[in-house]
Amino acid sequence: MQNPTIELENVTVSYDRTVALHGANLRVNQGSIAGIVGMNGSGKSTLFKAIMGLEKLRSGRVLIQGKSINKIHQRNLLAYIPQTEAVDWDFPISVYDVVMMGRYGYMNCLRIPREIDRKIVQQSLAKTQLTGLEQRQIGELSGGQKKRTFLARTLAQQGEIILLDEPFAGVDVKTEKAIIELLIELRDLGKTILISTHDLSSIATFCDQVILVNKTILAYGTIADVFTPENLSRTFGGSVPQGLF
Amino acid sequence: MEIVWQWFTAPLQFQFMVQALFVSVLVGAICAVLSCYLTLKGWALMGDAVSHAVLPGVVLAYGLQIPLALGAFVFGLGSVLLIGLIKARTRVKEDAAIGLVFTGFFAFGLVLISKLPSNIDLMHILFGNLLGISPENLIQTIVITVIATIGLFIFRKDLLLFCFDPVHARTIGLNTAFLYYLLLIILALTIVAAQQTVGIILVISMLITPGSTAYLLTDNFDRMTILAVLSAVFSSVLGTYLSYHFDASPAGCIVVLQTLIFLMTMIFAPKYGLIARR
Ligand SMILES: Nc1ncnc2c1ncn2[C@@H]1O[C@H](COP(=O)(O)OP(=O)(O)OP(=O)(O)O)[C@@H](O)[C@H]1O
Ligand SMILES: [Mg+2]
Repeated sequence: MQNPTIELENVTVSYDRTVALHGANLRVNQGSIAGIVGMNGSGKSTLFKAIMGLEKLRSGRVLIQGKSINKIHQRNLLAYIPQTEAVDWDFPISVYDVVMMGRYGYMNCLRIPREIDRKIVQQSLAKTQLTGLEQRQIGELSGGQKKRTFLARTLAQQGEIILLDEPFAGVDVKTEKAIIELLIELRDLGKTILISTHDLSSIATFCDQVILVNKTILAYGTIADVFTPENLSRTFGGSVPQGLF
Repeated sequence: MEIVWQWFTAPLQFQFMVQALFVSVLVGAICAVLSCYLTLKGWALMGDAVSHAVLPGVVLAYGLQIPLALGAFVFGLGSVLLIGLIKARTRVKEDAAIGLVFTGFFAFGLVLISKLPSNIDLMHILFGNLLGISPENLIQTIVITVIATIGLFIFRKDLLLFCFDPVHARTIGLNTAFLYYLLLIILALTIVAAQQTVGIILVISMLITPGSTAYLLTDNFDRMTILAVLSAVFSSVLGTYLSYHFDASPAGCIVVLQTLIFLMTMIFAPKYGLIARR
């Protein structure tokens, strides 16, 4: 069996008195795409935060490539695409500047872009079909363009593990397809991808693994193993979404 | 024309006026730069808290004959730490914690002033003393401005990222705790410098208004900084002259001008003004 890139052992995270994630266990292998499925408030974003080491763990531990999360930040390993609601879209910043922020970890302390940084930013913009929109303020983009801006930042960052929190929310079918193609391309380059989504129908088309979340990790593994009626009803509290089978 | 020229040049024969103009420009500019970060980070209330909480520090520093900046800094930081503690450990919400801590600190400062045998002029701390700056205070203001400018310049991109997306900042290996305290330290230092011109009651205006004005005028952070500085420097210079000619409170004049500029911008700004958004 392959070595897991992301490992969670008995992880519990709570905010004040609400326990958002309880005793979660998980293994995600390198070079795979894992889809995170769960209802609103089930703890998907919390799972991401736990993996990034942003929330204190009540119990358990998170290992990234076998090492504790606190050691990996220096290495530019993780790239994160925030949920749309978590971004200040009025911020006076352009598409180009956001993507350039993906390169900060590689620059000197004044963050002056080098030739290579500019080249990689251009390539990332081209890959996400944002060329021509560089100077737009980020609030003046369509939903799909907003998502792609952060995807471009992730590409520019060249992290090994990519975390996407609901990248398909408010995005049309064409953009969703384009994003999925990019993710598959990245996976084939050996990147590990974690993606939370509400679109159950598309998961089967590109995810190697699914993770069912409802206050804990109920199950994870291949789609065939995990998408059982029983698991799904535990995930969605009895109301299994239509159109899955 | 002659009269206008006179209006501006005549006061310059007085050393204290030249000094006042110099200091008000310096303080206005550094506050304006910082205000861009504070408005974007949503730290307006925090700035208000720190500016009030420094009072006991300033009074004690006077009494102990140590630099005012040091005293202000200790209490400014102390208030923020206490706010953080209350928020994290109790069920009291942040805005309540802020209101609770800064008024407590401020009140403690008032008690100290009334009890410590010293020649501190409370009015000068509260509302500034722009037209009577002592040589030590002049030097202190210059030193603080230089330090704050260097700090803001070196870390300007990191601070901007910290304001925009602290999670990303963490994932690329930036030390966000360091950036948090850096911004806080610069805030405390700037408040000490601004205490000279406008006093600790009105300093919050210098730390919010220019940034808010500029925020309504542009979508580019560098331009926002420049516009904030321009509007602040303009208000500082004109406000100082106005206070001289009309024998009015300098702090009052400067802040009223800044507020007027904001209101004009709010109405007439080309893209985000009330008229344009109709
Ligand atoms: N900062 C916070 N403080 C307190 N409670 C929080 C915080 N963030 C999340 N929670 C709570 O933790 C639980 C899990 O939240 P989380 O954001 O992880 O859900 P999610 O699965 O990402 O939901 P969504 O699909 O709406 O994005 C929820 O009950 C939420 O109310
Ligand atoms: Mg979420």
